[in-house]
Amino acid sequence: MPTGPATVAGGAGAMVLGTLLVAGAFVYDMGAIRVSVQGKQPGGENVHLIVPAAVVPLALPFVPDKDLQEAAEQVRPWLPAIEAATEELARCPDGPLVQVTSPHEKVSIVKRGDSLVIDVDDANEKVHLSVPVKLVSVIAGQIARVPPPKGERAAEPTPSEASAL
Amino acid sequence: MKKILAGLAIIFWAGTCALAADRWIHVKVEDGGANGETVRINVPLALAEKVLPVIHTDKLRDGKVKVDSTDIHDLDLRAIVEALRTTPDNEFITVESTHENVRVAKAGGNLLIKVRESKGKAEAKTTAETKTVAETVDVMVPFPVVDALLSAGKDELDVLAAVRALSAVGDTVLVAVDDQHSKVRIWVDSRNTME
Repeated sequence: MPTGPATVAGGAGAMVLGTLLVAGAFVYDMGAIRVSVQGKQPGGENVHLIVPAAVVPLALPFVPDKDLQEAAEQVRPWLPAIEAATEELARCPDGPLVQVTSPHEKVSIVKRGDSLVIDVDDANEKVHLSVPVKLVSVIAGQIARVPPPKGERAAEPTPSEASAL
Repeated sequence: MKKILAGLAIIFWAGTCALAADRWIHVKVEDGGANGETVRINVPLALAEKVLPVIHTDKLRDGKVKVDSTDIHDLDLRAIVEALRTTPDNEFITVESTHENVRVAKAGGNLLIKVRESKGKAEAKTTAETKTVAETVDVMVPFPVVDALLSAGKDELDVLAAVRALSAVGDTVLVAVDDQHSKVRIWVDSRNTME
């Protein structure tokens, strides 16, 4: 069997290509987060962002510990409910889940494809947020696993975590 | 040909079963007051079934809600339901007070609760106004759902069992509340939208 430099380079190239393909498939599978904020006031800011959802769990470690610990404390008791709800939401057909209409504000939460789409339209701004349903439980799970500040007793595992142990 | 027909029949049957399983609970609140707010909520019953058992708060645990007996004025709900079960359809048990009229009955396998509230003397400006109905509440709950709700221990309501029972009943308006400023409707059907 030939083992020349060309073969080694070819093998390395195939590995890189394979890794890229797997990573690409993972990023594609996770979907994207779309954020759009349109200020309505004069000089209001306009923000449009499309972020691959796969990046968000990787970015969480860069959030300040104090903020993460606060969020973890709030999310932890609800994690099993969030996991159950997102699992079921992923299965349910597209359609409106919540709509609030008033003379001053319009809010809607809609299931569209694999995403949860949130629209808020009020006097100051128009906000559009689209989040892949599966990302919600991934992020909630990651936040819930953040350890409490040093010196505090670690929280008991949630039922889903306990069953996984 | 027979195989194709059998295949089509199985697909049709499976599709029908899937549709029957997709039950939705809808809540619509219309506030005609100064804010004029309308809230519409559509929730798949399957989602409620999955989420309820894992919520653990002071009052809600394992899909069961703790009811303080003072909240229901020490009424024995099970005894009332049992009494209703043996009464003929549409015969109402009526409780009347100065500005509230509560009627409870059964009809076609459903528990009916009708509340008619008029303005109190202090609130009304004229005698005629005290007789005007200020708020109507109509609740219609199929008996299997009531039974499921009361299947937990004393001072507990099994909401999870009620949701499961609700999945099996047909399209039903469960709650209708109308007053001068707002309108509330809660109903169950197989559609995921309100239209």
